[in-house]
Amino acid sequence: MGLGLLQGIVSVLVVLGLSPLFAGLVNKLKAILTGRIGAPLLQPYYEMQRLFRKETINAIGSSFISRISPLVNLVTMIIAAAMLPVGFWKPVISFDGDIILFAYILGLSRFFQILAAMDIGSSFEGMGAAREATFALFAEPIFFFSFGSISFISGYTSLYMILHSIQHQNISYEVFIVICSISVFMLAVTECSRMPVDDPNTHLELTMIHEVMILDNSGLDLFLYQYSGYIKLFIYAILEISFFYPFSGQGYLLGIIIFITGSLVLATALGVVETIASRYKMKNIPQYLLFATAIGILNLLIYTFTR
Amino acid sequence: MTQIQMQNNQPFDLDSIIYLKSGAFQKAVLDELAEGSRMIAFTPVNRNNPRQVACVFFNANISSIVLIGADLTGDDFRYESFANAYPHTNYFECELAEMYGCIPVNHPWLRPVRKQNVTSGNVPYKFFKLGGDEVHEVAVGPIHAGVIEPGHFRFQCHGELVYNLEISLGYQYRGVEELIVKSNPVQRIILAESIAGDTAIGHTLAHCNAVEALTQSRLGLRAEVIRMIAAEIERVAMHLAGLGGVANDIGFALPASSYGRLRTLAINSLALLCGSRFGRGLFVYGGTRFDATPEIVQKIIGNLLEVQHDVRKINEYFFSSVGTSSRLEETGTVETAVAKNIGMIGLAARASGLEEDVRVLFPYGAYRYNPVPMLTLATGDVFARTRLRAMEIEESLRLILEQLENLPDGEICAGSNAWPVNTGVVSIVEGWRGEIVHMACTGVNGELVQYKIKDPSFNNWYGLGMALRETPISDFPLCNKSFDLSYAGHDL
Repeated sequence: MGLGLLQGIVSVLVVLGLSPLFAGLVNKLKAILTGRIGAPLLQPYYEMQRLFRKETINAIGSSFISRISPLVNLVTMIIAAAMLPVGFWKPVISFDGDIILFAYILGLSRFFQILAAMDIGSSFEGMGAAREATFALFAEPIFFFSFGSISFISGYTSLYMILHSIQHQNISYEVFIVICSISVFMLAVTECSRMPVDDPNTHLELTMIHEVMILDNSGLDLFLYQYSGYIKLFIYAILEISFFYPFSGQGYLLGIIIFITGSLVLATALGVVETIASRYKMKNIPQYLLFATAIGILNLLIYTFTR
Repeated sequence: MTQIQMQNNQPFDLDSIIYLKSGAFQKAVLDELAEGSRMIAFTPVNRNNPRQVACVFFNANISSIVLIGADLTGDDFRYESFANAYPHTNYFECELAEMYGCIPVNHPWLRPVRKQNVTSGNVPYKFFKLGGDEVHEVAVGPIHAGVIEPGHFRFQCHGELVYNLEISLGYQYRGVEELIVKSNPVQRIILAESIAGDTAIGHTLAHCNAVEALTQSRLGLRAEVIRMIAAEIERVAMHLAGLGGVANDIGFALPASSYGRLRTLAINSLALLCGSRFGRGLFVYGGTRFDATPEIVQKIIGNLLEVQHDVRKINEYFFSSVGTSSRLEETGTVETAVAKNIGMIGLAARASGLEEDVRVLFPYGAYRYNPVPMLTLATGDVFARTRLRAMEIEESLRLILEQLENLPDGEICAGSNAWPVNTGVVSIVEGWRGEIVHMACTGVNGELVQYKIKDPSFNNWYGLGMALRETPISDFPLCNKSFDLSYAGHDL
C-alpha cells in the first residue's frame, strides 16, 4: 500500500513537472515547421517563473469567484492528473467508474473558469464564456462516446483498468483503439483550445475562445491558469499515448521509450495540424465536434454488430 | 464657368476661383455630384480665411479634377448638407465642421472625426445603441491586446452577429497639415514621410508631386522611374504584409511566416536603394537623393525574382487551401452599390468591382509612359480583397522588373525654382491602399497657406463598418486585416 501510494504520487509529480515541457515542445515543432527558430524549449517554464514573480491585480468589482477560480483550476487539474495512470503504477485515485469523475473534474475547472470570466463583467469575457460553454456542450459527448465505447468493449469502468486492458494481440480490439484515438485527439484539440478550434497564438480578443476568458488576469492568477492549461494539454497527451499502450508491463525501459516516442509523435502531430490547418469559422466548430462524437458512436455500433 | 477644371498636378491660380453664394454653390455641387463625381477634398483654400471654401471633385468621366468655390460669409458659416443625397460626402462635411466650423445644415450624422468635443460641444458623443433584452454591446479599444494603433470600435451584437459597428478614431491626431504649413521647407518631406508609417513613399510622392508642380520643376525620366519603382516596391511589400496578416488571422501558420519572410526581401530592396527599409530619405524636391547604380539594380532584381518565384508557390498553396476559402469567401462582403455609395476607394473598392485606380484614371510621373492594368474583382468579400493583393503583387513585380532592366539614363535630381504666389495644386497618387490626395495652396508671398491631406483610410474606414454588418463578430479581425487601414493616416 505504501509503495503503491508513493508510485501514484511520483506519477502525479511527473505530470506536473513535465507538462510545460510538452507545451514548449509543441511550440518549438510548430516554429521549426514554419521555418523559424522559435522560442526555447523551456520557454513555458520561463514564462511561469516570470508570472509567478508578478503582482496580481484583480478587476474592480469582481467577487471571490475570480479569486478562487485560478486555484480551483489548478487543484482540479492535479486531481485529474492523480487519476491518470502514468507508467505501470496504479494512480492515487482509482475506483470503478472513475471515468465519470475524471470527465466532471475537468468540467468543474471549466465551470469555475466560465463563472470567473463572467464575474469580471467585461463584454469580452462574457463573450468568451458564452463560446466556451457552447462548445463544451458539444465536447462532452465526445469524451463519453469514445471512452464509453472503450469501456464497454473492455468491460472496465476505471481509467486505469481500461488503459491497462489494452492489448495489442487482438487485432479487432486495436481497430477500436485507433478509431477512438482519433476522436480523443479531436477532443484534446478542442479542450486545450488549440487549432483548428481556437488559435492559441492570436492576440485578437474578438476571435479568442479560451484566452479571452483570462484576459483580465495577471500575476499569480495568470500563472495558475497557464499552468493548469499546460497540465490539461499533457493529461490529454498521456490519454492519447496510453491508447498505444506503453505501459503494459513489458519492462520499464520499453515503456519509457514508447512514452517518449509517443509524446514526440503527438507533439509533431499537433505542430503539423497547427501549421497546415487554418482555423474554422466559429459556426463550423459544432460540426467538427459532432463529427468526433459520431466516431465514438460508430465505434459502439461496429462493436455491437461484430460481436 | 463657375468651376475650375484641371489635371492631376496642374497648378491653378487661386484668384481664378469664383466663390459662389450658398444657393449657387448648392446647385453647382449637386450638378457635379450627379455626374458621378466623387468628393476628394472640402476645405478652405486659406487656413486663415475659413469663410472661403473649395470643394474638390474627382471626375473620372471627363478625366479631370473639378474645383468649386463657395463663400459662406453671408450664411453664417452654414450650408445645406449634400450627405442625404450623396452619402460619401458626409465625412468630408464632418471634417470641415470640426476643423473650421462650417456647419452643414440637415446633416444626417454629424459626428467627431478626430477631436471628440468640437462639433458636439462638451457633451460626450453618443454612440449608436441597439435596444432590446437580447442584444449586447462590445466596446474594443482604443487600447488593444496587441501592439497596434489606437482606435475605438463599438459593436452592437445579437449573439455572435454584428448589427452595427461604429468606429471612432482620432487618438493619433498630430496636426500634420498645420505642421506642414508652419514648418520650414526642408522639414516638409520628413513630415510627409511620417503621415502614415506604412505609406511613407506614397505620401512623400504625393507631397513631392504637389510641390514640384507648384514650383514648375521638371523631373528627369530616370528620377521619375526610380520613384515609380520605389512606390511599386512599397506596394509589393505592404501587400505581402497584408497577405501574411490575413493568413495569420485565420491561424494558417505556414503561409503567414512565408509571406513575412518575403516581405523582408521586398523592404530590404528598398533599403538597398536608399538605406531605409521604408523608403525614407529617398525623395528630394526635383528627384531622388540616391541613384540606382548597376550593382544595386542587380541586387534588387535578384531579390525581387526570388520574391516573384516564391510568392507564386505560396499563393497557390494558400488560395487552394479549403480552410482559406471557407474562412475568406462570403465573409465581410461590401456590395458594389454600397461601395460606390459610401465612396470607397483603392484596393477595397477594386475588390468590390469599382474601377478606382489613380494610376489608370489620372496617371502621374512615370505611370504616364508605363500604363498599368485596372485589376478588379466582383465579390467584395475578404477573399476578393486578399486575392486582389496577390494579383497586384504579380502585376507590380512585372512592372518593377521591366523598368529595372531598362532604367533610363539621366540626372536623378533637377534643381527647384522659387515658389509661386497665389497658386494651388491638387496632387493625387495611388498608394498601396488607395488614392492619396494632397492639396497645396500658396499665399501672396509664396508661402504655404493651406495644405490638405487625404489618406485612403479616410474613405474606407466606413467601408469596414459596412463589411461587418450581419457578419459574426469573431470575423472582425479578419475583415479589419483585409482592409488594413491606417489610423495615423486617418487622424493626421
